[in-house]
Amino acid sequence: MGQTAIRDKKADEGQQNFIHLLPAGLLFGLVLSLVQPALPGKLSAEQIKNKTSAVSQQKKGNAQKKPLEVPGTSARQPKDSDLLKENRFLQEELTLAKNRKYYFVIDLKSKKIDIRARGMQLKSWTASQIRYSGKPLPLKVLGLSQKSALNPPKRQMIKPGEGDTAAVVDQEPVSADKNNQDKKKNAQNGTTMPSQEPGTGGETFQLEALEITDMPGNYELIFDNGLKISVRSPAGKGQKLRRLQENLSWYIFLPVNNFLKKDKVHNQKMILYFDQPRDAQGIYWAFIDGIQGIVWLP
Amino acid sequence: MKKRIWKLLLIAGGLIYIAAVVIIALALINNQKLIDEWKTAYDFKPEARSRISPSAQNSALKKKIQSYQPRGVYIMIDSAENKYYLREGDKVLREGLVSTGSGEILVEPNGKRSWIFDTPKGEFLVKSKIQNPYWVKPDWAFIEEGEPIPRKMEDRVEGGVLGDYALGFGNGYFLHGTLYTRLLGRNVTHGCVRFADKDLEAIFKASKIGTKIYIY
Repeated sequence: MGQTAIRDKKADEGQQNFIHLLPAGLLFGLVLSLVQPALPGKLSAEQIKNKTSAVSQQKKGNAQKKPLEVPGTSARQPKDSDLLKENRFLQEELTLAKNRKYYFVIDLKSKKIDIRARGMQLKSWTASQIRYSGKPLPLKVLGLSQKSALNPPKRQMIKPGEGDTAAVVDQEPVSADKNNQDKKKNAQNGTTMPSQEPGTGGETFQLEALEITDMPGNYELIFDNGLKISVRSPAGKGQKLRRLQENLSWYIFLPVNNFLKKDKVHNQKMILYFDQPRDAQGIYWAFIDGIQGIVWLP
Repeated sequence: MKKRIWKLLLIAGGLIYIAAVVIIALALINNQKLIDEWKTAYDFKPEARSRISPSAQNSALKKKIQSYQPRGVYIMIDSAENKYYLREGDKVLREGLVSTGSGEILVEPNGKRSWIFDTPKGEFLVKSKIQNPYWVKPDWAFIEEGEPIPRKMEDRVEGGVLGDYALGFGNGYFLHGTLYTRLLGRNVTHGCVRFADKDLEAIFKASKIGTKIYIY
């Protein structure tokens, strides 16, 4: 009797411990899931490739999606599907390359954002991380319909009669001869002067012009098919707090929202992270209104 | 009684918590499925009857895209970084600093006309090549200075401000020289692209009418 009483007491203690430990364990798991890099939406493309190989093999059974598959050639199927995907991409790029306008290509696998014209790469940025969510994007040309930022760049108005900024900054244009004479003088006096030689310009005085540094480092690109790309960089204050909020939103609220509204059409979302604000600013600069391009996962 | 209520509350809270965790777990699994679909489910229809293999089709498409690329020398201007590149194929023959559009706005005092001083972006062609160019000042140059717009053409002509060479690429835009060499690398112009003298000379000599210019 005494033994059972002791056992009951131990069982009660165990239950109490369990009640206390369970929420703590779940909470820990949740926090860990937020911190862990290898989670859905934050996976690198290679990880996705490895993890999805089994899933993709299963899906290849779907005759509607893979009409060219031949039974008994399962080993060759991935290669064919990759080629067909590239084929589709090239067809879309061809339509863009025919135009005089430049276009963008976002490669989710290599995390590269290219600006291209006529199939040539004009400029390229590499994101430190790319997240994407929602139903897969069709491999089609899409157009930028809106750029949205908290502090969008503002164009300066020129007041007639006050001249342009170039004239204000450089009221007395300096000829090359005068420049050299001044340099010699300064060298004799042991003083230095800012370089005025061609090719060494780009000094850091303030201009009332719209420059790349005036572009926002954090903003949204909204496309005509509903895709929303958020571009993030360490520009501005409160980045850690913003990142935490974004992580919570990305890993908890967005998946739950997608899950609960399973049947409804939800637009694709993407976040591009850059280590340097200038990269994000450069994309804001290059992505002009109406720019067309392709987002794809090779 | 109080203990019971607390117990019930604890159980209810625990159940809600477990339900929330289960929903989140299912949501994450669902999210992973969606991400997997990005890799596998593109809604394209390959040509089932095509006799050409996909790899052959792809190389043909690549060749077709390449056929749109410029042959010979071309000029690339990065208006964000204010840099130019003189290129031939993948080779960079020369590069340096330029000045491009300031992005400022000028409105005529009566409000009838306005100008945005951006350098146009896209693909252009060298349409004219001029040695020792004179600047025919447009209306905005006078409005900006607060001066009356002259009626005579000769009052608009100004020499020595565009450098030794100018290459027109349409709509009054030029690649030209500058007196303001300190401002190379900055966005200060009214839309034209300003070069340093030596760079301009090299570009002038290397290009011909029809040479392609890419501004981005």
